[in-house]
Amino acid sequence: MIDPEELRTRARDLLEGGQVRAVIGYRRGSRGWAAEPVVITRPEEAQDLVWDPSCVHNLALYLVQDRRRRGALRESTDRPIGILAKGCDARAIVVLMQENYVQRDEVYIIGLSCESSGMLDERKLAGAAEGIDPQALEAVDFEGDAFVLSSQHQQWRLPAAGVMAERCLECRNPCPKVHDTLLGKEPREQERRGTASAPTMSDPFAELQRFEQTADSAAARWDFWSRQFDRCIRCFACRSVCPMCYCEECMVDSISFTVTPDTTAQEKANRLRWIERSASRSDNIGYHLTRALHLAGRCIDCGECERVCPVRIPLRLLNTKMERESRERFGYEPGASVEVAALLASFRDDDPNDFIR
Amino acid sequence: MSGKRIGVFVCHCGNNIAGTVDVAQVASVMAAEDGVVCTSDHAYMCSDPGQNAVIAAIKENALDGVVVSCCSPNLHERTFRENAKAAGLNAFDCEIANIREQCAWVHRDPGEATEKAIRISRVAVRRLGRSRPLEPIDTGVTRRVLVVGAGIAGIQASLDLAAAGLDVLLVERQATIGGRMMGLSETFPTLDCSQCVLSPRMVEVARHPRITLMVSSEVEKVSGYVGNFQVKIRRQAAFVDPDLCKLCDDCAQVCPVVVPNEYELGLSARRAIFMPYPQAIPATYTLDESSCLGLNPVVCGKCRDVCEAGAITYDRKPETVVEQVGAVVVATGFDLYGQEQLGEYGLGAIEDVLDGLQYERLCSASGPTKGKILRPSDHRAPKDVVFIQCVGSRDPARHCAWCSKICCMYTAKHAKLFKHQVPDGRAYVFYIDIRSGGKGYEEFVQGVMEEDEVMYLRGRVSRVYQDGDKVRVFGTDTLSGQNVEIEADLVVLALAMQPSAGTAAIAKTLKISRDKDGFLAEAHPKLRPVESVTAGVFLAGTAQGPKDIPETVAQASAAAAKAIGLLSQPRLSHAPTVAQVRSRLCTGCRMCVDTCPYDAIRLVQGKAVVTDVLCEGCGSCVASCLRAAIQVKNSSPLQMKEMIEAVLRV
Repeated sequence: MIDPEELRTRARDLLEGGQVRAVIGYRRGSRGWAAEPVVITRPEEAQDLVWDPSCVHNLALYLVQDRRRRGALRESTDRPIGILAKGCDARAIVVLMQENYVQRDEVYIIGLSCESSGMLDERKLAGAAEGIDPQALEAVDFEGDAFVLSSQHQQWRLPAAGVMAERCLECRNPCPKVHDTLLGKEPREQERRGTASAPTMSDPFAELQRFEQTADSAAARWDFWSRQFDRCIRCFACRSVCPMCYCEECMVDSISFTVTPDTTAQEKANRLRWIERSASRSDNIGYHLTRALHLAGRCIDCGECERVCPVRIPLRLLNTKMERESRERFGYEPGASVEVAALLASFRDDDPNDFIR
Repeated sequence: MSGKRIGVFVCHCGNNIAGTVDVAQVASVMAAEDGVVCTSDHAYMCSDPGQNAVIAAIKENALDGVVVSCCSPNLHERTFRENAKAAGLNAFDCEIANIREQCAWVHRDPGEATEKAIRISRVAVRRLGRSRPLEPIDTGVTRRVLVVGAGIAGIQASLDLAAAGLDVLLVERQATIGGRMMGLSETFPTLDCSQCVLSPRMVEVARHPRITLMVSSEVEKVSGYVGNFQVKIRRQAAFVDPDLCKLCDDCAQVCPVVVPNEYELGLSARRAIFMPYPQAIPATYTLDESSCLGLNPVVCGKCRDVCEAGAITYDRKPETVVEQVGAVVVATGFDLYGQEQLGEYGLGAIEDVLDGLQYERLCSASGPTKGKILRPSDHRAPKDVVFIQCVGSRDPARHCAWCSKICCMYTAKHAKLFKHQVPDGRAYVFYIDIRSGGKGYEEFVQGVMEEDEVMYLRGRVSRVYQDGDKVRVFGTDTLSGQNVEIEADLVVLALAMQPSAGTAAIAKTLKISRDKDGFLAEAHPKLRPVESVTAGVFLAGTAQGPKDIPETVAQASAAAAKAIGLLSQPRLSHAPTVAQVRSRLCTGCRMCVDTCPYDAIRLVQGKAVVTDVLCEGCGSCVASCLRAAIQVKNSSPLQMKEMIEAVLRV
């Protein structure tokens, strides 16, 4: 497991040496044990950095915000920004690079390997063990294939597989492939999978497979998703947390069309309303399916959308479905390489087209 | 709403539309649409009175736009846009609602068809409501034509183009021009010598001041647009200088390499340095890099040493040139259907089973046998020859569905040539039926049957195998109902014609489409038979479909005429419905750049920029842009949304 002290030293060195202008990382949040994202710019702030199973957030989001901010301030820089990246975060950064949103030399990636562990799922924790009050917890830590949870007076040791986030169980790549420096090791397959009696990992797309076995007809799936989308309150938390949702104007925003000095009167008059403001089933479906399609070949399964959903819509099912299609049909692995053309921008003569009817 | 005053004109198209769609009802329903101020229907909107009615209505009602509900915009969009212009509107103030191909012709139920016609018309009205007036984009013209392939089609097209005063760049993959026709002996139905009629044309091409000839060259990349294409051509290294070469044959005499001669279809051998035909143009020897011992004086160097003229140099490299042309004629010809698929006829396995083109070489005075028909295995004159027609053709289940068109005629000719040489020989022709449409063709076949006494057996051959020094042929004569077994000395297969091997690649390079059989597709099967779907690219010869020499020549001249017509315009105009970037929304992801099939988009300071004249308005970029930052003019997202609403009646 990575020693957080090592991480702090690395970050401090980078800031002191002026190699990076800031480091995006995690620090202890205001809510007890849970980490929160932070951007540090001074070397002494490096001591605040933490690395534990509560570092769930996909920090690639803050790269997007950094570019936005610099764009708005017309700020140019010659130094990259440092960023801590788990396997999934690094895949997201790769997609951003593929899409030219950030350039390779604008980012200094401090890769963090989750090794054979993963991130804690707070919702799983709530029902995991008798007597644990998540509110009272003060820290969580990695310990081999377990998480150690501590409150002021007590400590619990829970098998990680039981309370780990589903996407971590299905993780395709716990160790970042693209990085400038790497902390932790690439786990061997054996280490990750655990033993047959106590598996630490599921197959990729395991949850999707379970879903497809229960909802095994189009009618059943429609029924399922209708119920799910009926509950959506359109808070757009899923969009806000997604590092891939960086469009300047979203189709759902057309109802509150942004007006800039460049906006012409005609543009104002012609503004499009693809969906209405109030949450209704058909417009909710319009929103979620458009988002899923826009993420096809781009979503790297960080699972953040599902984590932040206040009404617990299983959004990973939609996105992993698209990911599986892109892998199976086009042999395309989202976030695997900066060099390959994005899935939706590449065409090969032998692309399967049997789905066109 | 847009506030435009729109008129809707519904065409009966005789019974074509009115037979299924209640045209009067469409007109009356459309009259109630928002923004529609007048409607009418007419038996033939495209007729002169129909067109005049449109022009008059625009003026009388002070219309801002017209929707014509009629046939496909492919047919009459231009007609009615001209009308709109004549009445003082912009061409894009006219919109076509296709209620014929997309409605009347594909539906039976009048009630439902009428409802659909109303919706299609309503969609057009809504789209027009948001259309903006656009003016065509004006471009210059390069008065130069690229002709790809120098067979008879390419040669004819080049000569016609040059005669009209255009510069021609004629590109040929092989070392000599002449193509397939150069390999033929006599041609049906007049039996004039193929090389004798072709070689004067070849010489003319070589001498014509306006024709630049590039042999051993291939088109690698084509960019640009009609009137202004940039073509990248790769020319293989020419180790023999044609200007110095005196055609003395000394080099070939000393060359130690012997390989099958591809120009004789493997029936004879050649050296690594050789001349494809005595009449080859350019008249020079060719050094074949793939069979040469290595272009290295240390290894061999005999030809260079013996050449008195000093015409041979080994240190040549392939070169790539970029040329500007205004139009392209594609004449890449045919290949015979692959022999590997035809095991039951023994082609390739039995020495005395030949394909039609090999037999032509046997008959040809310049061929490997100096025109004597001798079978390859023992060089004896055959007595019993079996000709099998439709080998691979007209066999949709296993081979090619199409009729190769020329086989009936050339098989008759083959049999005739054989009987002329071996009067006491027996010729058998297995056929399905005889297709001899053409001037003098039927008379020719009848002559072969009656005067030359060739046995025509209506039926197919089931098996061909080697039996001693004979080739045994099993077949059926379906007219007598009997099985036939022939001990043949020679079997000649009339193999199906298929597009030449490079057709798929050149089609991709030129962005032209191919039909289901792989031949180059014409823009319209009847009215635009020599044009491809890409403006400025024309088709000639067998690359477009099986045809004989006169047809090929006629099509080549037609393609040349089309190119001449195009390039004689002082300026060309480009459709203004091109993509447009909403720069504020563009994040510079490059997806549109990668997607654009016309290389029309590039990034400038992190934002996409469209080169208007390159853009064909296909919309691929619109589909690929996740941020809706690019749209095609007059196909805006707002128009799309309103059209969807109109069709769904939201």
